[in-house]
Order: sequence, then structure tokens, then C-alpha cells
Amino acid sequence: MIGARTLRREDPRLLTGRGSYLADHDVPGLCHIALWRSPVAHARIRSIDTAAAAALPGVVAVLTQADLDAAGARPMTHLLPIPGVQPLAWGVLAQEVVRFVGEPLVAVVAASRAIAEDAVDVLVVDYDELPPVVDVHAALEFGAPLLYPEWGTNEFLHLDYATDGLDDALARAPHVRTERFESHRIAALPLEGHGAQASFDPATGTLTVLASQQQPHQLRTVIAEVCSLSEGEVRVIAPDMGGGFGNKQHFTREECLVALLARITGRPVRWSQDRGEGLTASIHSRPQVHDATFGYDDDGRVLALSVRVVSDLGNPVLYFSGVGPSLVTVGALCGGYAIEHHGWSLSCVATTTCPVGGYRGFGQPQSHLTTERVMDLVAADLGIDPAEVRRRNLLPDAPRPFIAHGGARIDVGPLGPQLDQLLDSFQYDAWRERQRAMRDAGRYVGIGLSTLVQGTAPTQYGVAGRGGSYETAIVSVLPDGNVTVAVGSKSQGQSHETVLAQIAAEMLGTTVDRVVVRDGDTALLPNGMGTWGSRTAVMAGGAVRVAAGRVRDKMTAIAAHMGGAPTLEAVAAEAWWHAHRLPAGIEPGLSATVCYTPGRTIPIPDAAGHTSFDETFGSHMTAVAVEVCPATGDVSVLDALLVSDCGVVINPMVVEGQHQGGFAQGLGAVLYEEVRYSDDGQPQCTTLADYTIPTAIEVPRLRVVHRETHSGTEGGFRGVGEAAITAAPAALAGAVADALAPLGVTITSTRLHAHHLRALLRAAGVEPDPAAFAIA
Amino acid sequence: MKHRVKFEVNGEAAEIEAEPRETLLDVVRERFGLTGAHAGCEHGACGACTVLVDGAAVRSCLLFAVQCEGRSVQTIEAFGTPAALHPMQEAFRTHHALQCGFCTPAMVLTAIDMLAHSPNATETEIRAALAGNLCRCTGYAGIVDAVCSLAGREPVDS
Amino acid sequence: MKPAPFEYVRATQLGDALAALASDDDAKVIAGGQSLVPLMALRLARPALLVDVNDLPLDTVEVANNEVRLGSLVRHVRLERDAVVVRAAPLLAEAAALIGYPAIRNRGTLGGSVAHADPAAELPAALVALDGVVLAEGREGTRRISARDFFEGFLTTVLAPDELVVGVQVPVAAERHGASFREWAPRAGDFAVAGVAVVIELDAGGVCVSLGAAACGVGSTPVDLHEVLTDAGVLGASDVGDSLLRSTAQAAARTARGDDDREQLVGLLTAAALHDAFARARGGDASGTGVAA
Repeated sequence: MIGARTLRREDPRLLTGRGSYLADHDVPGLCHIALWRSPVAHARIRSIDTAAAAALPGVVAVLTQADLDAAGARPMTHLLPIPGVQPLAWGVLAQEVVRFVGEPLVAVVAASRAIAEDAVDVLVVDYDELPPVVDVHAALEFGAPLLYPEWGTNEFLHLDYATDGLDDALARAPHVRTERFESHRIAALPLEGHGAQASFDPATGTLTVLASQQQPHQLRTVIAEVCSLSEGEVRVIAPDMGGGFGNKQHFTREECLVALLARITGRPVRWSQDRGEGLTASIHSRPQVHDATFGYDDDGRVLALSVRVVSDLGNPVLYFSGVGPSLVTVGALCGGYAIEHHGWSLSCVATTTCPVGGYRGFGQPQSHLTTERVMDLVAADLGIDPAEVRRRNLLPDAPRPFIAHGGARIDVGPLGPQLDQLLDSFQYDAWRERQRAMRDAGRYVGIGLSTLVQGTAPTQYGVAGRGGSYETAIVSVLPDGNVTVAVGSKSQGQSHETVLAQIAAEMLGTTVDRVVVRDGDTALLPNGMGTWGSRTAVMAGGAVRVAAGRVRDKMTAIAAHMGGAPTLEAVAAEAWWHAHRLPAGIEPGLSATVCYTPGRTIPIPDAAGHTSFDETFGSHMTAVAVEVCPATGDVSVLDALLVSDCGVVINPMVVEGQHQGGFAQGLGAVLYEEVRYSDDGQPQCTTLADYTIPTAIEVPRLRVVHRETHSGTEGGFRGVGEAAITAAPAALAGAVADALAPLGVTITSTRLHAHHLRALLRAAGVEPDPAAFAIA
Repeated sequence: MKHRVKFEVNGEAAEIEAEPRETLLDVVRERFGLTGAHAGCEHGACGACTVLVDGAAVRSCLLFAVQCEGRSVQTIEAFGTPAALHPMQEAFRTHHALQCGFCTPAMVLTAIDMLAHSPNATETEIRAALAGNLCRCTGYAGIVDAVCSLAGREPVDS
Repeated sequence: MKPAPFEYVRATQLGDALAALASDDDAKVIAGGQSLVPLMALRLARPALLVDVNDLPLDTVEVANNEVRLGSLVRHVRLERDAVVVRAAPLLAEAAALIGYPAIRNRGTLGGSVAHADPAAELPAALVALDGVVLAEGREGTRRISARDFFEGFLTTVLAPDELVVGVQVPVAAERHGASFREWAPRAGDFAVAGVAVVIELDAGGVCVSLGAAACGVGSTPVDLHEVLTDAGVLGASDVGDSLLRSTAQAAARTARGDDDREQLVGLLTAAALHDAFARARGGDASGTGVAA
């Protein structure tokens, strides 16, 4: 059962159109919300005239933040527990100042979304434009316009870290180099946008909120806080979700707005983000600039790595903002390498652009890019094969855990053998041969590598100052012998209904088809942490395993008391229907509630000053071969292979699906997708014709090879969902750099899009030959 | 002004009154409860709203319901049930061709339309035919495998 | 993302369509709707009245007097698959296959694409390359407008507000006809950053005796490259060797001067389309694959 390619329980309903996503929940009298959003990057609001909008037939209410305040709304905060962070709280709607194109200012509730949009069209908002600040470096300059003048700067947070002796180590290193690596701004783009729907039942005083949300329990807490309700009065249900990818772990203004409007209007209301809102006024991700200084010896050993990270937050009016991912970035800069001396500075900067937040990978694609590019540059400089440079720098195969800088307890399997397996499976040497031959024939082929060591199942305490590293599960064997599992994590497509059923079925000795998994409803469980951080297999899987184990132990005791070899059904009936016959000291029923934690994180510094945010680590090694057309800049992936170690594999089909999908997103990020702004802060990607995610034509197949190193957590699982999306940008950047090196092109950013490569090639003086292109 | 529209939805005669601006997508979802067609972008770029009109795959967000007079509309709900999947749906399940499922009904309909015209399509043709339907979860490999399996093709690059 | 309100009328007679168009200054024709409806959803277009012409008998393909006459309601999918179009106007078939995706091509129409006049669109450029004629019907009667004169600027044409495109006409491909449409787009199916269409005809001796060419994605209308290619020496050439490909590419690229990237692409695509067209004219296989560079 564990390890089987079990087909998915969720598929039949999703395949036949019976999935139940947010906008599939029409109720009588449902009203719809549309928002007046700022058309300019920065402005002071002078006046808002709602009369014409309110007078339109079908309009129920037109509200500003003043109306929400009057109804008792409380401000939202980023919840960051970091000392030194600038003071910041914000209303559900903007009030005096808008600070990005798309910032919501006025809400319209109407009988239909179309009418609500008609009303937004006739709202009259008078404002004085303020100077925009779009470029992150410009925002840091003296005299830059300030988003929040009370800070006296646009720097929201600054942190520094260095090991003792870092400067000396850099000074003593035989070779030292400084390079810039930039990760550009992208959008996660779940195919179903964000959304929420709420209704208030005055009879019970219960506010029920449906939300396309990865952390329904925590949204419950936030909504209770913003709406001045108790947690018992709020029920959050996350129905089927059309993707989330970390974007939907943020608690958004609109989710809180929907809750408030349901209370204020007394009507059921829905906000369903449209694609324009999704692309311009939701959550962007990734923009960081790294200046890395690294010292290395003649053998290619990296002795010291110091990185200055400048992270663009946009307007940081978002739960944990871009700071959360940035903290993960700086914690992961050494990756899977043993680099003796290390330091970083982190500058998180506000700009008048859309808020930046989490996206699958959560800060790691940026750090991993830098780490892997450093290895490639060292290799190129010394004329050593990049695979060999990696081998010389990898964490030693023992002991475990390896205690990294800052205290992270890295528990991956031995990396040397995994690298061997990668090179062997990929036929690395043969690819190098082929590369030489193709180069001789005038073709630009490159090979890129990624040796990713990735923290999974992290504690949330570090970015939220509450919560932590646990997950809740209830496993019950019903009177007829069927099994229900309730968990606090929430599937956005990751196959939880199947893999958690596999775990429960294996523990209970039944079949997967007799297990029903339910998630996403705060009424199911007292609390839960949700799905993010590659945590569900480890945390929810662990919780289900422990709970099912307790039920199994009880069944064993009851069965022994019954005598013979009773079936599961007989034991279940005995436990629920014949309680008087149960052995002494055994409670009736077969159900266990577990709040499971592996207990391996250190969320706040211990006596040694150590923190460790991840319960366990995965190791994933990737090789790609690409060909770049020097005329068009098109990048073709010729081969891609990933050797995956996510501990005990629950369902290889699902793991391969996670890798293939993550690879597609990572590839899309660097070859096709880019969120662009004009100098005055106008978003340039407002439709899916401008923001181009890869299609079936563009995404190649990723070959996956499995390794299994037991994690030591319950069940031996390690997280996997964020591996390939983290590996792909680094591996592809390395491959493209390798391909274009003979042409004198250097790659310093994740902008590997054909038009960017054409510009780089032109700048390098490469003039494509039309005749050769025509004949090819 | 509302218009009366007579058409056929999943084999049954239907008659509605619709504002001109109501798209076929909104109408099948809101009037007929056929929520398998999804609003992914509402500007014709993602394909999640694909339905069949007179047997051909079209974007239901780019067609006004008033334009459907006399037409036959088929949504995913006309193809298979959870207990008895259509062969294309079965192939999708077997090949792990879906994760969140939001793009899936439209992808299935597009694939059905495609194989109706090119029953022996190659992998390259299949990828081109599916390129108008965006999937953010799967990286397409399982989808391509599923459709290839019904076209009697071994995926070339697997 | 919902359109602003509008009125709707479905025309079943050409005269009714023209009358409806004339009845409202903000009337707009809807055929396939694949360009118009997205603009309406974004509220960038707000017609007061939509005149639906889909029921007019204009989904027609006819060959007569050495001309192919195509009704304006011929959908892209038909251009792509119709045996007559593939044989007699292979450039149109190839261009149609490059438009969007199957579900778009199932609805989008030839007349709609021509009247919409997106400078990045394939069919307008193909029509210019073919030296085609746009047939426009107004209350004063039919106008035959050379495609070379039809496109005025970004999304604008010489069509009067109450005129309707009812069809286009292009010469039937001759025996030694070669056509090719090459384009570069970020993804297949996207609007082309640049595209080049080339059609040639060879005489029995293999000498190019007739040519047409146009670029899309460059400038505010399709760019006619006929003169550029003629001056470069393609007309009268019996072979396209490397040097002719290079000099022609360089000349064509100049039409995009000021935009380094398009300049580069137009050069490359011109060479590629020219090379393909000659190969196809010689090989007797005039039809292309439509595959982007």
C-alpha cells in the first residue's frame, strides 16, 4: 500500500466536472463583490463619491474603509515576530494613500459581478498622485520617495549574519570573486484565482466563510481577529482548490473583506478574483538581487560565501509579506554544501508595486540559484568539471544530522552516492561527449546541474510568531468498518485524499477504497496548520499514521478479547455497538485524535544561539541538457533527470507528478514568465496574453529516479513538493550559461527568456546568419 | 434587453432568457448548474471554460449565450460519471493527468474533440492541440501520455 | 471581468446586418468574437450594439476565374483543413494554422481577423503577401479593396463604420507556387513578435516570375515586403543561395529599424520563409507545416 501507484480517490469527481471549487457554491440571494482598485502606483486620496454607484439598480452597498471601521473592523498585520521590523498595520481597504496599482479602495456589493463592475465604473475618486518607487535599488537611495514616511526609509527590515572569521577567510582565499545573481518577479498563477464567500447566520451567530485557502484554520483566527468575533463563531471551509502553490497561504484583504461584508449586509457575498486582479493586485513572488562574494581554493573548494540580498517586497501589506521567503533564502544560501565561512545581509525593501509573497519554493529558488551558480563559476574559473566541484563541496556523508551555520539540523542521506547515481542515470559523461561533438557542429548545447538539499516541514513560528510545527488528524473506524480521516492540512491538488488514505489503510489493515479523507473545514478539527512548506506527507502523514496506530492498537486489544480472528468489521461493531462487552479500561468507539509533531525544530534560538526550522530535509539532484538557438534565443530542453530522495515514498506516481509539475513551473519561471512594470509603476502583464505560462508544447518530460532514505520522523517521509521548482531555475541557468559560454555570454539572472537571450547575444556581438537559420 | 434563446444543453432542449452580455460560460454554470466548465481567465487565454458547441471545442467565455440559438452545447457533465468514466477520463486517471483538476474537464473535452478529427495523432500533434489549455499543476506529461494512449501511440520522448 | 451592457441583434440577411450597423454609431460586428470578446471582457471595447453575422451565408469557399473567393465567415479551422484552400491558397492554410489554438480556430473567422486588423495577426499579412482583395459590402454596394490598401493603422482599416467584410479573394496558386509563413512568438499560439509570409511562382525553367511578401508584428499594419524582395533580386532569381538569403534578409530587416529585436527576427524569418517558398515551389509541395522557427 505504501509505495504503491494507487490511482487517485479524488479523480472521478474532478474528471467528470463534479469538483466543487469556490465559485461552484451558489446560494439563494448570493451577492458579488467588485473593487475599485488604484489605477496609479502611488497617490493620496482626496475624495470618494459613491452616489452614482450606489444608485445603480442591483447595487446592495458601496463601502469604504470608514464604513468597515464603523462596523468594528480591526486592522490587519503581517504577524512577523522579527525584532527590528518597521511598524505596519493596514485596513482591509486602503484609506488615505494607495501604494500600488490595484490596491483596493472601495468595495461594491451587488446582485451580480457584472453589476458590481458597472458600479465600480461610475465611482468617482479624486486623488493627488505621489511619486512612484518601482526599482528596488532606487527605493534605497537617499531622497527616494517614501511609501511610509514615518519609517524614514523604504527599508522594512535589515538583518546581518556572519560566522566569526568570514572576512579573514575571504581575505586569505586563493581566489575571490563577486558576482550578481538576480531572480526576477513572477506570479504563481493558480489556475483558479483566490476567492472567498461568506454568509452570516444571525440565529446562531455563526459566520461561515468558504475560501480558496491553504490554511483554513489560521484564516479562521485572522478573520475572528479582524471581525472582532470569537474563533467559535467563525467556520472556514476550503473546498476543492484549483491550485494554491503557496500563494493561497496568505490571508488576504479580500478574504477578510468578504467576511466583514457578509456581517454588514446580512447577505451571502462572494468575491471571486478575476485574472486581471490576479495578475496585478494579488501576490507576486521572487524578486531578489544577490551580490555574492565567494572565496575558493585551487581545488575548487569554496571556503567562504558572503551574500548581500536585496529583496523587493512591493507594498508589504500582506501577511508575512516577502519577508517570510527572504528569511528562508538567507537560511539556505549554503544549500547542500559544507562552506566553512558564511555570512549574509538581508535588506527587505518596500516599493510601490503589488505585494510580494510566497510561491512554491518560498525563497529557495533564489538562494539555490546563487549557490549553484557559484559552483559553476568556480568550476569554469579553475577548469574543473562542475560535477566534480560540487562533489568536493557537498556535505560530508556523515555524521547526521549535519549541523549547518545557524544550527539547521540537516538529516539527508549520503550525498556522494546520490551524485554518483545522478551522473550515472543521466549518462553525464556521454552528454559531455555529445556536447563537444555538437559544439564542433556549431550547435550550442549546455549541461546544468542542481544538487538541492531542501528543508521540508518547517515550523511556522519563525514567520508568524505563533503556530508551529504540528498537524492534527482524527482517524476513525466507523461502526461498519469504513474509515474516515480528517486532517488540518488542505489539498490544493497534491493527492491528499489518496496518499493519506494509503497511510491509514496500511496501518489499519484495510483497503484504500474504504478510507475517506476529509480536509479544509475548521469544523472537522480544533486546529490545523494547513498545507505549505512541503509538509503534508511528513506532518499530516505522520499524524494520520500515529492516530491510525492508536486505533489499530485498540482494535488489537478488542480482537484479543473477542477471541478467534475477528474481521475489522466485527471489531468495529464490537467497539461501537457492544460497548458493555469491551475489556476493562477500554473506552467504547474507535477513533483517535492526534496532534503530531516530530519535535525536531528549534524555532527560537537555544543556548548555543541555534535555530532549526525544518523537521526534515529532502535531497534532490537534477541534471538538464539544453540547446540554445543563437539566432532566436530559444532554449530547447534535450534531457532532464532528477534523482529524488523524499524518504519513504508513499505513492511514486504522485511524487513523479509533483516533480514534473514543479519542473514545469520552474522552467516557466525562467523561460516564459516575467511580471514587468513600467517606470511609473504600471503593471505590464494584465492578461494571460502578457503573462505567458508554458503550455503542453513547451514543457519537456522530466525523468525521475527514486532513492529512499528514511527520515526518522513518523513513517520516514520527507517533503517533496517544492523540489523541482527550486532545482529547475538553477539547473537551467547553469545549462544556458554553459551553452552560451563559447559565445562570450554570461548569465547573471533568471531571465532566460528567448528575447532576453537575443539581447544578451546581440550585446556580445553575435550576429546570427539568416542563411544558416533558413537552411537549418 | 433580454433575449429568449432556445438551444440544446447536454442533449436536452432548453430555453432561457438572457442578457446579451451573459456568456455561455456563466449561463451553463449559473442557470444549468453545470459547474464543470470553469472560469479561469474570462478572456479566452486559459481554456478552462472549454465546452463543445455543435461538437467542436470552443471557449465558452468568448461566446455569448444569445449567440447559441439553435446550437447544441455539451459540457463535461455529458461525458462519463464518477462511477462510469468516459475512456478519455479513464486514461487521464490511469496516467495521473490531473492534480487540482481545475483545467481537467476542459482538457478532457479538448482531447475528445482532437481525437475525433485525428484519431491517430502523434505526440507532437497532441501537444499542439492541447496547447490552448493551460495546466499549472501537472507539467502536462501525464495528460500527453493519456491522450497518446488513446491515439495508440507510445509517447516518443518518454 | 464582465463586459459592459450592450444590445444584441442577430442578422439573417445581409441587408439587415447593414441596417443594424448603420443604426448605431457604437455598433460592432461580431463574427467569431475571439478578438472582440476579450476586449469587451476587459471593458476596453464597449459597443452599444453587437450585430451578430454568424447566420449570414458567408461560410463559402469557391474557385472561379483563377481566383479563390472565400466568404468572411470561413473559420480558421476550415482554412487549415479545407482541401480546396490547402491546394489553391496554401499560404492562408498555413497562416490559419498559426493562429491561437484549436478552440480559437474553431470560432475565429477570416473576415473577423481581416476587419479587426491586428498588426500582429497572420491573415492580414498573408492577404497582403498574396496581393488579395477584400470584399466589403455597404448600403451603396460592394467595394473591392486591395489588401495593400485596406489596413490603415493599429486596429483600423478603410472600412466605413456601416460596411461589412463579406469575403476575400486571392489568386489561385499556380503549378510552381511556393508559399511559406514563418513567425516567432514566445510560445506557439501567441501573437507573433514578428512573422513573414512569402509566396513565389517559378516558371518552367525555375526562375522566379512572381512574388509577394509581407511581415506581421512590425509596425501598425502588415508591412508589404514585395518591393523589398523585388529590389533585393528575388524576382528573376533561379536559386536562393546564401548570399541572396543574406542580402534579402538584411533588406527586409531594415523595415523594422529602430527595434533591434524585431529587426533581427524579420531578417531571420524572411530568409527562412524565402528558402521554404523556393523549396516548396521546386518540390511541387506548396503547403507548409506552419511550424514556428
